[in-house]
Amino acid sequence: MNEQPRTLYWIFLGFVGLVISTYVLFPVFWLFLASFKTQAELAQLPISFWPESPTLDAYKALFSPTHQKGQLLDWPQLIGNSFFIAISSTLIVLVFGTLAGYAFARLNFPGRDLILGGLLISRMFQGAALLLPTYRLMSMIGLQDSLIGLVLLYSAFGLPFATWIIASSLREIPKELEESAMMDGASRLQSMVLVVLPLATPALITASMWHFVGAWSEFAFASILLESNENKTVTIGLASFVELFTLEFQYVGAAATIVALPIMLVFFFGQRYFTRGLLAGAVKG
Amino acid sequence: MGSVALRNIRKSYGAVEVLHGIDLDIKEGEFTVLVGPSGCGKSTLLRSIAGLETISGGDIAIDDTVINTLVPKERDIAMVFQNYALYPHMSVAKNMGFSLRLAKEPQAEIDRKVRAAAEILDLTALLDRYPRQLSGGQRQRVAMGRAIVRDPKVFLFDEPLSNLDAKLRVQMRSEIKELHQRLKTTTIYVTHDQIEAMTMADKIVVMRGGHVEQIGSPLELYDSPASIFVAGFIGSPAMNFVPARATGGRLVTEAGAPLGEAPVALSEGQSVTVGFRPEDIRLSDTGIPARLALIEPTGAETQLTLRTGETSIIMTTRDRVTHVPGDTVHIAITPGKLHCFDPETEQALRGGRQ
Repeated sequence: MNEQPRTLYWIFLGFVGLVISTYVLFPVFWLFLASFKTQAELAQLPISFWPESPTLDAYKALFSPTHQKGQLLDWPQLIGNSFFIAISSTLIVLVFGTLAGYAFARLNFPGRDLILGGLLISRMFQGAALLLPTYRLMSMIGLQDSLIGLVLLYSAFGLPFATWIIASSLREIPKELEESAMMDGASRLQSMVLVVLPLATPALITASMWHFVGAWSEFAFASILLESNENKTVTIGLASFVELFTLEFQYVGAAATIVALPIMLVFFFGQRYFTRGLLAGAVKG
Repeated sequence: MGSVALRNIRKSYGAVEVLHGIDLDIKEGEFTVLVGPSGCGKSTLLRSIAGLETISGGDIAIDDTVINTLVPKERDIAMVFQNYALYPHMSVAKNMGFSLRLAKEPQAEIDRKVRAAAEILDLTALLDRYPRQLSGGQRQRVAMGRAIVRDPKVFLFDEPLSNLDAKLRVQMRSEIKELHQRLKTTTIYVTHDQIEAMTMADKIVVMRGGHVEQIGSPLELYDSPASIFVAGFIGSPAMNFVPARATGGRLVTEAGAPLGEAPVALSEGQSVTVGFRPEDIRLSDTGIPARLALIEPTGAETQLTLRTGETSIIMTTRDRVTHVPGDTVHIAITPGKLHCFDPETEQALRGGRQ
């Protein structure tokens, strides 16, 4: 009976979704297409939408040693730095967030809920407000212009939220499962590793993805803390590209595509965990 | 297999004491049921034996070895939880073999023991399934299987049947009892259901408010309850209680209707609470007059609700009842089936005449 209105409703929703995603994604797609065009094609009028003769020249240039000596920056190094920072700090956040999350979920200690709530409050600070103090702090302890420094900084910023996500999902796991594991002869650590963590995988993946993407694309702190060229990250490289190549936009397009790629891959493969992790507790699985 | 001894077990949460000194001896191979209303401390006691709760005082011993300070894994006890607590990410076989894997037994040995337990519990066809693919009864059996493979000294069950529907509950009840008769492992079983307690136990421990009310075999508790609480808790429908007094070695209701011979020596005129079970009452031509308020046939027997003044009396009979509600009938209590309790202490009056 009401099949008709429902279908109309979904068509309407789909249409709205399409409009919004076109609006959001078009510039990204435009940049992506630009990376396959030649400079001449980019400069011509009228503007072409699809590349007339698609070429990978821009990408080749980014990875060719001769260009790197010039203005094009050492992209393999930038990418390596960004991966190093993002992966290391994700691992740190995952390990400590899991241990801390477990403690918040399972142990009784005074002020537990207050501290757990406090972790969320720390998310409310605007990063910009912390730029200057952080810079002072990092230079005082000699960690400015250091990848390790940035790893530690990102880990510190990422840990509260990761802890919170993991703690909330661990709270959903029945206590009896662990008690049962302990009766079966497991130590607390074994029951955590063998029983609890496998069940918390969605939350662990969510927390990791969240942090990885944030660390990979962080710009503000990286740009004030990193000075030497060999320490720079992809986001800084990309920013300087935009300034350098206002005309040779194919380089910007190629660099932006490369920077976006890991994030897209992360979401592509982690998507189903991501929604599940954030919804943990909303519905009983 | 092991014997279990509890000596003066106390447990406090902060200032609140929930177990007030429990003493209990469980013989090797015995099936003991802890029963009582919710909040009586039975689950806390069970978890203390398991090592999941620390006790505030007293000693727990298995085979004369005090295990108070041992962590659960060192106690050689297996436990079946109310919600089964099966590991959702492991197959039935993995669930059952988990403890053996932790103990680093060789895989061939694990497989053999898991198969043997699966055989006993009729789970062989389900070994590769995951808990979410099982019915409630099957999950229950896997939880038991997990306990069996370990061949522990003691099995603990924490209200294992309360998540099952009524029919399955009766079936699993028999299965657990059969399993015990086969394995003869010392078992401590917690339930709030007195019928489960009666049907399964070698020994029942009735608990109330952190105390042990009475310990005994099912029929001992049924035939000679130590207090009004136990008398009312064990048996369904529950025992009837009426205030009465003694006169010349006999008991009469306060209205003067005769109840029967006093089962114990009482002083003349002494006030007592008299208890008698619904099945020990029969309709007769003389005796206590009562108004028939309700007739509830259940097929095999019929339950009658009677009113004598203020008090309601429940009786059951296997005879067909021809009366209708509103009729006045007379009831008599089978001789020797009266129980006397002190109205003040609510304890059974014992001794003297039998």
